[in-house]
Amino acid sequence: MKRDQVLAVLACAALMAAAPILLPPFYIRVGQLMLYSAALGVAWSILGGFAGYASFGHAAFIGVGAFAAGLVEDRFSTLPPPLLLGFGLAVGGVACAALSAAIAYPILRLRGTFFAIAMLGVSHVCAELNNNLDFLQGSLGLNFPVVTPESIAPETFYYELCLFTGCAVLAVAWQIRRSRFGAGLLSIREDEDTARMLGVPTERYKRIAFVVSAVLTGLLGVIYAHSLGYITTDSVYRDDTNLNLIVFSLLGGMGTLFGPVIGAFLLVFVTQVVLGRLLDFHLFATGLLLVILVLAAPGGVLGFARTFSFRRRANAE
Amino acid sequence: MNNQPILRVDRLSKSFRGLHAITGLSFAIQPGSITSIIGPNGAGKSTLFNLVTGYLAPSAGQIWFQGRLITGMPTNRIAERGIARAFQIARPFRDLSVFDNVRIGSLFGKAGPRDVAATTARAMQLAAIAHLADRPASALTVGQLRHLEVARAIATRADLLLADEPCAGLNPTETAAMIDVLRRIRASGVTILLVEHDMPSVMEVSDRLLVLDAGRLIADGSPSDVANNPQVIEAYLGSTEPEDTESQTAEPAIRQGSKI
Ligand SMILES: Nc1ncnc2c1ncn2[C@@H]1O[C@H](COP(=O)(O)OP(=O)(O)OP(=O)(O)O)[C@@H](O)[C@H]1O
Ligand SMILES: [Mg+2]
Repeated sequence: MKRDQVLAVLACAALMAAAPILLPPFYIRVGQLMLYSAALGVAWSILGGFAGYASFGHAAFIGVGAFAAGLVEDRFSTLPPPLLLGFGLAVGGVACAALSAAIAYPILRLRGTFFAIAMLGVSHVCAELNNNLDFLQGSLGLNFPVVTPESIAPETFYYELCLFTGCAVLAVAWQIRRSRFGAGLLSIREDEDTARMLGVPTERYKRIAFVVSAVLTGLLGVIYAHSLGYITTDSVYRDDTNLNLIVFSLLGGMGTLFGPVIGAFLLVFVTQVVLGRLLDFHLFATGLLLVILVLAAPGGVLGFARTFSFRRRANAE
Repeated sequence: MNNQPILRVDRLSKSFRGLHAITGLSFAIQPGSITSIIGPNGAGKSTLFNLVTGYLAPSAGQIWFQGRLITGMPTNRIAERGIARAFQIARPFRDLSVFDNVRIGSLFGKAGPRDVAATTARAMQLAAIAHLADRPASALTVGQLRHLEVARAIATRADLLLADEPCAGLNPTETAAMIDVLRRIRASGVTILLVEHDMPSVMEVSDRLLVLDAGRLIADGSPSDVANNPQVIEAYLGSTEPEDTESQTAEPAIRQGSKI
């Protein structure tokens, strides 16, 4: 990403930050979901897109982050709200770091589809435990303390929070992308054995990417849970999230920095606004959109744009 | 200290479920040399490279690099010590450009102070692919891929390059160009262990030949010594079967080359 690209992103972010002044609450909530989804997509992409380890179970980290934060915040609900949210984020992040570090070694030995399916298993096991261990309150549900300042509408507050977090996640991904670590992840995606033979510490790099991706996902889970106010197992351990995180990258451009952002914006917009009234149609529409786009543009929106501009340049010559 | 070998292999053995690919192999390589390993198909040459790079664990024996034991070390740690490999079947990072392929070599590889930009440029120069820097690796010809394979390997600042049939599938002109690249790499201070089937090239470029047959070392000496060694002539060059395989593999390449 060059300097003007950074400026363009910052300009976009500033415009988006101002948008709630003009938008009705419904669209602010759609915007919040778009930003939240984009941030999740980028966090997922650090492992799935950069290193090529596509996880099909990242909802596990949303759930673990949300419930860890909620249970602890419940104990300390007398703290002032901003402190409470910060505390919840720290707890959610640490819980996801612990879980991902614990399973990293065995699960990252699997490759391709096996890794994806194993992660789906992790997500389901976590959901099952969350539902059946009473002290986790998964089936009973968990209330989150209100942390929204009184002067701001809740939807605006969470919109801005998601925007800020989304930019932060994007900045992390960007820094990784341009670092030596990022180049190592790319080589792992391309050919892991060759990467190791060139001296890339593949095992360590995969583990770090996994933990970073999990922690960022967990932090977003904490914010999402607050925006809901009340969660049960089913509201955070969602299989449509597991699916969508892959879809975002496939739609926008796998392994690119902005691909998951574009994919998330596109998919959330289509399902929430265009198909808003046809609730049961969502999964079908997601599937259909995916099939069409993968057939028409295997490189996603960014890949398509790149080939298009390449062709135009070739024609001009 | 000066004549300490850069690589020493001691009674190395590797068997795959009863198949003895390497048996009791011992030799030492002096720094700054080009040593070629020849032998019929299946003699264990690539397996030896897999053992030296730590990609496979030996069944028995030890490998010493610059006086240190490296057997049992993870592959990436061995690369950090300064051993690089160019694969028999080129394995480029297909989605990346030639430049980025080579750059990853120089970002990693041998530990220590690094100047990534200069090392990348120098490696591409040495391997004669500087003009291809912006090409995607997936768009290269077989011959160019072989050069990329070598460039990426030496970009790691390796002291020892294991080159596994870098001329396979190349026409005579391309083969000569590759041999020239190997000479320049050696002149830059890198020791080379070469596996190659093209006998004229091997005879011309090597300081020393090791002959492997069925996983055993059957001859070791200067190219002319080995060429006149009756045991080699009988076991390898002289016996009809490997000779046939040799000419079969060499001829299509030459014919193909003359057409181009
Ligand atoms: N991973 C493996 N598993 C089982 N057998 C193997 C493996 N790698 C090599 N072999 C066997 O070991 C023997 C030596 O193979 P190797 O690839 O080292 O031969 P080579 O000398 O490199 O031959 P070529 O000239 O054809 O490249 C062969 O019989 C081969 O089938
Ligand atoms: Mg071989």
